Amino acid sequence: MNYFSTVVSLLRDRQDFLEEIHQEVKLKSKISALMISSFCFFALYGGIIGAFHSPLQILSSAIKLPALYLITLLVCLPALYIFNTLFGAKQSIAQHFTYLLTAVSVIAILLCGFAPVTLFFLITVNDYHFFMLLNVAIFALTGVLGVSFLYQIMKPIAADDDTQSIKIRTNILRFWLILYGFVGSQLGWTLRPFFGSPTMPFELFRAREGSFFSGVWNSLINFLF
Amino acid sequence: MTADLEELKILERELERLTGCDISTSFIGGVFGGTYRRAVFRDMGLFLNLCFTEAIVTVLVFIFSLPVGLLVIRNSPQSINQLSGMGQVLQPMLVITLLIMVAWNLFLWLKYRRLQALNYLLDEVDRYNEMLTAIQVLERLGAVNNEAGLSDRDQVLEALNLTRNSLICGLITEKILRDNRGMLARRTDLLATIETNLATLRTLEICDRATEYGQLLNTALQIGVSVHREVQTLTARP
Repeated sequence: MNYFSTVVSLLRDRQDFLEEIHQEVKLKSKISALMISSFCFFALYGGIIGAFHSPLQILSSAIKLPALYLITLLVCLPALYIFNTLFGAKQSIAQHFTYLLTAVSVIAILLCGFAPVTLFFLITVNDYHFFMLLNVAIFALTGVLGVSFLYQIMKPIAADDDTQSIKIRTNILRFWLILYGFVGSQLGWTLRPFFGSPTMPFELFRAREGSFFSGVWNSLINFLF
Repeated sequence: MTADLEELKILERELERLTGCDISTSFIGGVFGGTYRRAVFRDMGLFLNLCFTEAIVTVLVFIFSLPVGLLVIRNSPQSINQLSGMGQVLQPMLVITLLIMVAWNLFLWLKYRRLQALNYLLDEVDRYNEMLTAIQVLERLGAVNNEAGLSDRDQVLEALNLTRNSLICGLITEKILRDNRGMLARRTDLLATIETNLATLRTLEICDRATEYGQLLNTALQIGVSVHREVQTLTARP
């Protein structure tokens, strides 16, 4: 079973892939292939960003980055499924899970696309704040693209149901995307460090203080001034 | 001829419809919730794929047990940078990972035992598809060398159709028995179909058994015999 061939078929024949999910064709294979391949891509990128600090940080970030995306997905999945089903969606939880995994896999592939760029700056730049902000920008860009992809594939269409139900489920999807971002950023802050501060020894987890947004703000101030 | 042979192949989508299971080269029913195929123990590439899958699943389970580790240090205000603190986080995660992996492998093995008949039939389907590919290659080589077409072509197609029908009947029978453990009238009809196909296969006369086509038809007959034997075993079970 070639897990990466599923990802290739997602990239090449996106419409056919999504149609197969809609018809529940080979869902279990898709779920396992997408989960395994997205883990591999996230682990690769996590290893690269951890390489800024030390070998232990490489291992730690290679585990934490997939954990961040996959645990956020699992935490938010029940909310999406229950609210969607309550307001008329006919897809099963397996289909919901496959759609979400597809979006997460797209994010993973996009991050892998940026891996050579990150590796280049890792080798040529020795500024921790610059490196962190670069990666925040990459994560933000890939996150926005992945989330907009998810919005396009999961947006309810007129053929499925009446207008009122479609409107409600579209709003549920928008709310859920905000929830996903919120949970993801908080989990990211809890799991830090991903890069590892060069002035400090290796830490598995940092002390719980502040928030994701205050951390980004402080880095921006340090970088600019 | 090539197009006809392509249509005779039993592909993964049709297998899914016939068996009700997600069939791939290594797994039946997917990695999570399914079991492995017999082929993984015969093919080195597939076996390595299985080992790779086991390793990745172990790490994934470790990742999903991370909330337990975070729960342990929930009330700890300091950063975790000492060995003792890391041990406090990693120990429960490793124990949970080990327990889940043992349970998962036990589940895989039990399901493997329960789906032995399906596994066997799927191996025969692979053999049948390989045989079709071999015939396609022979046809293309024959066309390149400008050789005359096989005089037994109609018989070849008939034999392949019969083998295909036997395999499909076998798969449907296995599915029915798997889904409904009791006796069903339909299985008698399906078994009768397999026996009829087998008898017809045996009566097919092949001009030269020593040729490659003769050998392939012999393989078709062997597949038919295997399917018949397996389905008889299935139906004989209480």
